[in-house]
Amino acid sequence: MQLFGVLVPEKEQLVATLIDVAKGRAGFSLYASLFGLLIGFYAIATIFILGHGHTTNTSNLVPWGLQISTYVYFALLSTGCTFVNFFGHVFFEKQYKPFASRIIFVGIVTAVAAFFSLATEMGHVERMYNYLLSPNPKSPMFWMAIWYTTYLIVITWEYINIQTNRHSNRVMWGAFFVAIFTHSTLGSLLGSVSSRVYYYSALMPIYFLFIAFLTGCSLTTIIAAMTVKQKKLDANYHLHPFVTLLKVGLGLALLITFWRLMIGLSAHLEGSEVFSLTLINSVWFGIVVVIIIPYILLKIGKSANWLIFVGLFIMGTQLKARNDLVIGAFKIPLFRVYDMPEVVHYSPSIYEYLVVVASASLVTVLYIVFERSGVFEARNIKEDH
Amino acid sequence: MEQYDGKDILDIMHEDLQRALKKPRKERRWAMAIDLKKCIGCHACTTGCMSENLTPPDIHYRPVKEEEIGEFPNTGMRFLPRPCMQCDAPTCTPVCPVTATYKRDDGIVMIDYEKCIGCRYCLVACAYGARSADVGRYFSGDFHDKTYEVENSGEYGKSYKRKSHWHSPIGNARKCHFCIHRIEKGELTRCTTTCLGQATFFGDINDPRALITRLISRPNVFRYREELGTKPMVYYIT
Repeated sequence: MQLFGVLVPEKEQLVATLIDVAKGRAGFSLYASLFGLLIGFYAIATIFILGHGHTTNTSNLVPWGLQISTYVYFALLSTGCTFVNFFGHVFFEKQYKPFASRIIFVGIVTAVAAFFSLATEMGHVERMYNYLLSPNPKSPMFWMAIWYTTYLIVITWEYINIQTNRHSNRVMWGAFFVAIFTHSTLGSLLGSVSSRVYYYSALMPIYFLFIAFLTGCSLTTIIAAMTVKQKKLDANYHLHPFVTLLKVGLGLALLITFWRLMIGLSAHLEGSEVFSLTLINSVWFGIVVVIIIPYILLKIGKSANWLIFVGLFIMGTQLKARNDLVIGAFKIPLFRVYDMPEVVHYSPSIYEYLVVVASASLVTVLYIVFERSGVFEARNIKEDH
Repeated sequence: MEQYDGKDILDIMHEDLQRALKKPRKERRWAMAIDLKKCIGCHACTTGCMSENLTPPDIHYRPVKEEEIGEFPNTGMRFLPRPCMQCDAPTCTPVCPVTATYKRDDGIVMIDYEKCIGCRYCLVACAYGARSADVGRYFSGDFHDKTYEVENSGEYGKSYKRKSHWHSPIGNARKCHFCIHRIEKGELTRCTTTCLGQATFFGDINDPRALITRLISRPNVFRYREELGTKPMVYYIT
């Protein structure tokens, strides 16, 4: 199996990209992403060198902060890419084909970027080997690690198959189901915590899958719209599936968000007051801004540029929505003593924000470098011959 | 000094402890009882615990909740000390992905500091908010002389010095462990011995002669948030 030029860029192409970067010809997007990566890695290095006590604003009251929400966000983006890859191949084969390798590639790098963010939140990431030496099969987090590793292997296999023109329906179906298992397990990680009413729900695994589908659709719509512009493809024909999937994603997100909110509001358990406490944000931001406005925007236009804007709008609002979800559970302290506030407020530190920048920049840099080197076109060139 | 059968209660509990330690570990069941009528909210247990376990800022193994009850003019104060409940059906141990936290056969919920990856899932899962994350803060801030704060706390009978964030217990989850390092040396828990009102009782509830066993068999006893099904091993006497 040929590695360079098919799965990863040719060495000459990488060198050419480096020369372009050095000579100032790499384009604004690549420079911005490289700068983001640089400051992001600086923040990650600082977190590891100085420790969490000096760099992050998480505490005993808010044990999971922006880094965990970013992990969830990128993990869901990755799942969404795998879902779109599946539905694209099954229902829109010809329209979807030009984007297949790009989308599954982004699925891989977003999964890696998610882990980047997660690693910075852990107190002792260097002890991860204990997953193998001392596993606990009762823990959803243990199963998430197992499924996550399997998921990465299967989507990489799917990428290899797409790039080498040996696309296998079995592997595609496998990737789809492994994605469902992996990310519903991530949902169960929160949903099974009975002490946090804001999380505790059988809806949570399904919520994660539906939101994954929506965020994945928004990211893949951006990729497809950019490719259509770059390759001068027929926008109406090629972007139609993505608009359809986005509408389905918004509908599913509305359904699950609404019922999660309604069921939460009807609870009379210790800590369930957080649902009414955050009601305005949940309705205004969680439903109107995150779901209704994107739907109206989709009805306004269908051009590639407009779809890029809509995709970016959904992705931006979803990042805040994931943060609201993860942090929401900690708003009411479980055992309030001393000077603890009645409602806990958490603002991420600059280092935590920069971890988000690092994860996003990692995805962007890798995508641009692979795109520039023509790796995603390799299979089309072969077909033409 | 309150007495039972003509003896000081600390002496009685000490005798109970010596008797329990002669039994095999799996035949013991450590538990705590706190008499809320006797608790005066002095926080001596909290500070005693902090000096025993050298806990950093924001980490209290045994905080005391203060509540105003009633309406003026019929008001009063109520104090509720909260150690780790050492639940018989804990919510924290099943979620640990690497079995760094587990329930020992004598009932104590342990944390293996060398195994803990610092994911904080147990903090999220604990129904009582009894767990804390040691993120490496010091009372002395960035002041270079941290001699006292980096001393060995002796927790779990091992040597842990808070030297840097690469060294446990920094980066780990931490919680009350019923002063297991003291118990195994035949000493009562620090909070029991520092309690000014002698409101804290400790012992082996598998021993029918133990003072704690007699106290918790009374009808005026409850367990905090028992409805969660966690079977806490801390009893409150009202």
